[in-house]
Amino acid sequence: MNEFNPNILAFCCNWCSYAGADLAGVNRLQMPPNVNVVRVMCSASVKPEYIFKAVSQGIDGVLVLGCHIGDCHYLTGNHRTAKRIPLAARLLGKVGIDPRRVRLDWVSAAEGEKFQQVVTEFVEDVKKLGPNPMKEVRF
Amino acid sequence: MRLAFEEKGADYLLATRDEHGNVAPVLLKKGDEPGTLRVDVPYQMAMILTKVNKFVKEGKIAVVARRCDERAIAELVKRDLLDQSRLNLIGLACSAEQVKECRCTDPCPSVVDFGECAEPSGDDASVARLLDMSLSDRLGFWIAQFRKCNKCFGCTLNCPVCFCDECLLEDKTFTPEKGIPPGLAFHLIRAIHLADKCVECGECERSCPVDIPLLSLRKMVSQDMKELFDYVSGDSERRSPLLTTLEGDPMEDDANVC
Ligand code: SF4
Ligand code: SF4
Ligand code: FES
Repeated sequence: MNEFNPNILAFCCNWCSYAGADLAGVNRLQMPPNVNVVRVMCSASVKPEYIFKAVSQGIDGVLVLGCHIGDCHYLTGNHRTAKRIPLAARLLGKVGIDPRRVRLDWVSAAEGEKFQQVVTEFVEDVKKLGPNPMKEVRF
Repeated sequence: MRLAFEEKGADYLLATRDEHGNVAPVLLKKGDEPGTLRVDVPYQMAMILTKVNKFVKEGKIAVVARRCDERAIAELVKRDLLDQSRLNLIGLACSAEQVKECRCTDPCPSVVDFGECAEPSGDDASVARLLDMSLSDRLGFWIAQFRKCNKCFGCTLNCPVCFCDECLLEDKTFTPEKGIPPGLAFHLIRAIHLADKCVECGECERSCPVDIPLLSLRKMVSQDMKELFDYVSGDSERRSPLLTTLEGDPMEDDANVC
């Protein structure tokens, strides 16, 4: 059997996490290749809708990365993120999709290594969860 | 009813009355012939109020409100969609059957003018049953339910706290323009948008022509709101935690409604 290779979406905010991802790349840190990075202006622009759409279309895991609390370019953008993402993850659980398929973390522009670590861990976690059951569901 | 209305010194009365054997909302001015007023069928008065507000710009409105109407009105007032100073609430207590149907834990209005407060219902058995299932069984359950959805928007139109002019659910990014059922994201988006507003009136579940247990889903989200933020919608004092910073201050930006 082929090893399961999860398909992962990582929303990274432009000001910190995307720069962190960039740094990880420049430093040639080794990372699993399963992650599709989507650059957004702020982690607060990751509305739960996007996560729901992705998950209901079969994405195996969604990472939301933003600046550390206090460092958001828009001051309190990530406060919003910090509240709405856990709620969205729990809601997925309520309808039977493992909430661990969504993870929120903070990665600054200087934390290339943290980016590497978060991505690697998350890919491992999602591998353990197996494929998103929504892949098999046709509405 | 007439008495309650005049006693409270309002210029209008918003109530429901018998219309050709059905129940419909009616806005009465002082001296209007009231017809047969009825209080036995739940009606979303908060939602009607936002409509009435568009053409009745002055004067006080007395409105017959159950506990959930009262809480829905509180949510709308907090968002500046209604003006509390122009409202007079006439409290209506729900009957024991209605309380049972909604599995309502908070059925008693702050002032009771009609009816008698029934015992609140305990924890919702259907929610407990769903939470007991394994994840895959639960997914199976909801997929089977959501497959029945015919995208009639009944749950949205009748909801007292659904107020956006442009509905995201009509946006083809999230809901396919053609074809039913609309899929899983449709229901999740609705659930999360109402997370900090839903007053568990049960109207969505009653409106749904295909009997999707929408109220159970709402109750699960309310439970999360309670666990994560210790917040219960309908609280007239507290701003929604989704609209405040981690310290509880209002957000810097002006997105303070939804
Ligand atoms: S129970 Fe349904 S109709 Fe009532 S407030 Fe909640 S979402 Fe709206
Ligand atoms: S009322 Fe029921 S069928 Fe109609 S859109 Fe809502 S969930 Fe779907
Ligand atoms: S800009 Fe990075 S989280 Fe807001």
